[in-house]
This record gives sequence, C-alpha cells and structure tokens, in this order.
Amino acid sequence: MVGLDLFRAEWTKITGHRWVVGCLIWIFPIAAFLLLVLMAVILALVDSARTEFASQSYLWTEQMIGVWSVPRDIFGRLLLVGFTAVMFAGEYQWGTWKNTVPRHNRVALITVKFATLGVLVLVTFVIMSIILGLGVGVLTMISGADYGPRITTDVLADFAGDYLLQMALAFTATLILAGYAALAAMLTRSILGGILIGLGLSFLEGLIPVGLFLIALFLDFPTVLHLSRIFPAYNLANISEWIINGKALETTIPFRDGEQIIYSDSLGFSLAMTTLWVVLLVGLTIYFFRRQDITS
Amino acid sequence: MAEAAIRVENLTKVFGRLGRRRIVAVQNLNLEIQAGQVYGFLGPNGAGKTTTIRMLLDLILPTTGSAYIYGQHVRRNHEVLRRVGAIVEGASFYNFLSGRKNLEVLARTGGHYDPERIGKLLRQVGLLERANQRVKGYSTGMKQRLGLAAALLGDPDLLILDEPTNGLDPGGMHEVRLFIRELVDQQGKTVFLSSHLLGEVEQICDRVAIINRGQIVREGAVSDLLAGKSTLRVEAAPLDKAAAVLKDHWTVAMNGQWLTVNATHEDVPQVVRRLVENDVSVYEIASQRQTLEEYFLAVVQEGGAHGWS
Repeated sequence: MVGLDLFRAEWTKITGHRWVVGCLIWIFPIAAFLLLVLMAVILALVDSARTEFASQSYLWTEQMIGVWSVPRDIFGRLLLVGFTAVMFAGEYQWGTWKNTVPRHNRVALITVKFATLGVLVLVTFVIMSIILGLGVGVLTMISGADYGPRITTDVLADFAGDYLLQMALAFTATLILAGYAALAAMLTRSILGGILIGLGLSFLEGLIPVGLFLIALFLDFPTVLHLSRIFPAYNLANISEWIINGKALETTIPFRDGEQIIYSDSLGFSLAMTTLWVVLLVGLTIYFFRRQDITS
Repeated sequence: MAEAAIRVENLTKVFGRLGRRRIVAVQNLNLEIQAGQVYGFLGPNGAGKTTTIRMLLDLILPTTGSAYIYGQHVRRNHEVLRRVGAIVEGASFYNFLSGRKNLEVLARTGGHYDPERIGKLLRQVGLLERANQRVKGYSTGMKQRLGLAAALLGDPDLLILDEPTNGLDPGGMHEVRLFIRELVDQQGKTVFLSSHLLGEVEQICDRVAIINRGQIVREGAVSDLLAGKSTLRVEAAPLDKAAAVLKDHWTVAMNGQWLTVNATHEDVPQVVRRLVENDVSVYEIASQRQTLEEYFLAVVQEGGAHGWS
C-alpha cells in the first residue's frame, strides 16, 4: 500500500504540472486527434483528397501498432528526454527533495519516478493508438476507403500479441532513454543539463558503430566491431526485427580487403542486453542519488 | 532515563576536497537532546546549523560521525524519520499545485495520507480558505504556514524547525510560538528549533546550544546560561569620560545616550564612587538582566564570528 501511495504521490505531482505534462506527454494523443480532425475536414471539403485517400486501403491493426514507434523516433525521444529531465531535476530546482527524502528512502523515491514515467508513457500511447485506430476508421467512412481486417478471434489474438510486444519494446526503449536523461539530470541537478546531456548520450549511442569502425580501422582489429552488439540501439532494433519478421537482424559491415564482419543475435540475447541496460541505468541513477547531498 | 530524541556523535561535514574549496561546515559536533522540550539551536550565518539539521534528516551524508533519532541511526534506519516532521531553510513546495495537493503529495510520500488530518491542519494554520489555490500565489508567510502543516502531517514526535517564523507577521509569529509551546507542553512532543530571532528563542526554548564555526560553544538551560548575567545601564555626562573611567574595571559598551557596563547590582556603589570622584555627573544607574541576544553576541564575538543577520 505504501508503494501505491508513493506512486499516487508521484502521479499527482507530475500530472499537476499541466504545462510540462501537456506539452511533453499529452501532446502525442492531442496532436494525433487534431491531425485526424484536420484530415476529416480536408476529406469532407476537398473531392480530390477524398478520392486519393479512398484509393488506398488501411489496416486498423497497423494504425494502432504503429503508434509504438513514436517513443523511439527523434521527435518522441526529444520530448521524452525533456519530460524525464523535468521529473528528476525539477525536484532540485523547486527545492522539494528536502521534503520528500526524509519521508521515504531514496531507492524507492527514484524507482517510483521511473515507474510513473513508464506508466504515463504507456497510458499516453495506448490512448493515442485508440484515437488513431478509431479516427482513421472515421476517415475511411468519410472517404469510402477499405478499413480492415475484419474483427475475428484469430485477428484479435494476433493483434493482441503484436501490440503487447511492440508496447514492451517501446516501454524498454523509453526506460533506457529515461535512464540517460535521469542520470544526467541527477548529476547536473539541472533540467537543461538533463535535457542536453541526456539527448547527447542518446544520440551518441547511435554513433557508437561509427566510432568502433574507426577504432577497428586504426587498430586493424575488426573484432572491436562486435562491441556494437552490447548497446541498446542494436538490441532494440534486433528485438523489433524478431517481432516484425520473426528473424534476427543481420548486420554486415564491410572491412578492409573485402573482409566482412557479419553478426546476428537471438531474441533472448537482445532481451537480456536491454534488460541489463535498464537495470544499469536505473541502478546508476539510484547509486548516485543515494550518495548525493541535498543542499537546495 | 528516557531515550534522547536527538543524539549526534562526533558529527563532521566537510564540503569539497583539498585546497580552497574545502569547507569544514561542522566539526566534531556532539549533542544530546532529551524528549519533551523546546531546544534552541543558535548560531551566526554559516555556523553549521542548517548542515547539522540536514544531516539529522539524512539529506546530507556526514563525513564522519553519526546522527541518531530516538536511538536509531538515521542513515541505517531511515524509517525512524517517520517520527520526525521538519521545515528546512524555509518552506519549498510544488508551486504548480495547490496547498492541499502539496500536503496530499507529501502525506502519500510518507505513507500517512489522511484527508481529514490535512483539512484539520489547513484549518489550524489558517489556510483552509486558500487551500485549493496554487502555492505560486502564496505569500512567504503562507508558505511558511503550509510548511508547518506539512511538518505536522504524520503527527510526528519530533519537530525540526529551521526558521519557522520567517516571513510571518508579528501576530503569526506569536501564534506559532504559542503553538510550539502547546505541542511540547500538552502533546509531549519535542521541538528542535533553529531561529535568528533570539527574543523568540528566549521566550519558548527550555535549552539552547550555540554553534559557531561548526562547533558547539555553549549549551545549557536558558535560565542557567543567563543566571547571574546582568549589566548596568549608566546615564552620565560627559559620557566619553564616564566610559574612560569605568573601562579599567569593567567591560563597557557605548549605547548612544548611555553606557552598558558588565557589572552586577553589588557593583553599583563602586561605579557611582568612581564616576563622582572623576567629576562625572550621574543621572541614572539601572541594573538590567542580560538577554539571550546579548549573551549570544558576547559568546559569538569571543569566537570571532563573521556576522549575524
């Protein structure tokens, strides 16, 4: 019950900051809704747009599942890093850690922040996917386009499985991204610092294969390239490949003299690596916070 | 003997590492505060008061030494802090939430959410009518009242109050003083109070400790510390000459139209004799009991403090 109370405290606190939660979190479903309304108006008023729209067929399953790629795209990452930085560094800037730290142990205070963030992101994108699923349905009704597949038990079962897997993938990716931002926010004790360093770390991770390639060239030691396999970006992409296509992501890197470095990994390996990253980043945030003097 | 509400042993906090950035904020502090009293914690700015309070609340990790609340090591048994309510260095809140929501968040964080108690506390601190407004619009005094309500949320046995009357008007300060005494006298709570207002401390504290440069320099019951500490107020002319005559025997301070002489009532005949023998006209000599403020200033000046505000 204490854990639930702590969660409700965090939820009340962060959703009470209407500007922040509105501009960085609720904006996703709101933007989806506004976009659909705009499209509905265009389809209702412009014949050529209606004809063009009707010439294609749409799948509600794709509309709803596709939403889960948003937390992993650049725009999604930017907003989520900003939100995480406010959530963690805000307490320093508002001078409120001094109220909460004596009331509960630090490990729980940080863990509940990650949990609240995760739940908030899940709720937001579930709402967004429902809005898109229904909204595109309305658009197809206006335009007369096909909107499938027909709802049967088999379709629903397949959809539920894919939907949950994509949801879990987005949740894990969000936690890793939040881990970078939270760690940066805790160490800099600044919202801006959290955003800049969090984003920096997140994008820097994307450059790791390039860096490893240069090191491999410099050392003439191609085995170094395999280090890419431990980082979250590769493992998240591999998990996605397993979910969508049922096979491993095959990576081929051309090296000197026609030599090629090829690797692929099992779903289990990537699941283990991403879990390890979540634990590592959350653990580091907790570790530093436990040793930190709260002086504001 | 009852268990001490607060006990600190060789508490030391050093900020920074080597060189000029190394600051010893608190040095080998030892303190034991018995339950059921109002204990004043005094010191000039930068003396180490707030750092000590933050170590008591597990906000700052001591460099060496330990802090205990009701016999429990604060860092190892964080749960003991559920028996403590605190205001640290002025009340800070989530400005975007209402006063009531802020209390709800803090109560839930502490695991003692009770809407009825929140309402009762808001009424008690005079904020019930504005409880649903955002804290952003509150005055400093209102925030301080909300801080007091927040400190009392879990019905704590021990209250650690750092400048609790900051920003309050005289009426509000009086109410808080009465409230603190009531908490101790009628509810048996313990209050550890840090305040700049020495008149206030003298009125409500049973015991005080004076900290300067990170170390306790005096500690004791207010009545004991001030016992026998009296001064003479001497109105005479010319005042400069009077000061020169008396300063060979007593410590003399010039206070505008009169002198404050560190002497006792028994010294009055001798003071008069010396002044008259030196052709100084004596208009009035009154014996004054030393205030805590005067005592404090004397103690701090001995230690060479940087200032007081």
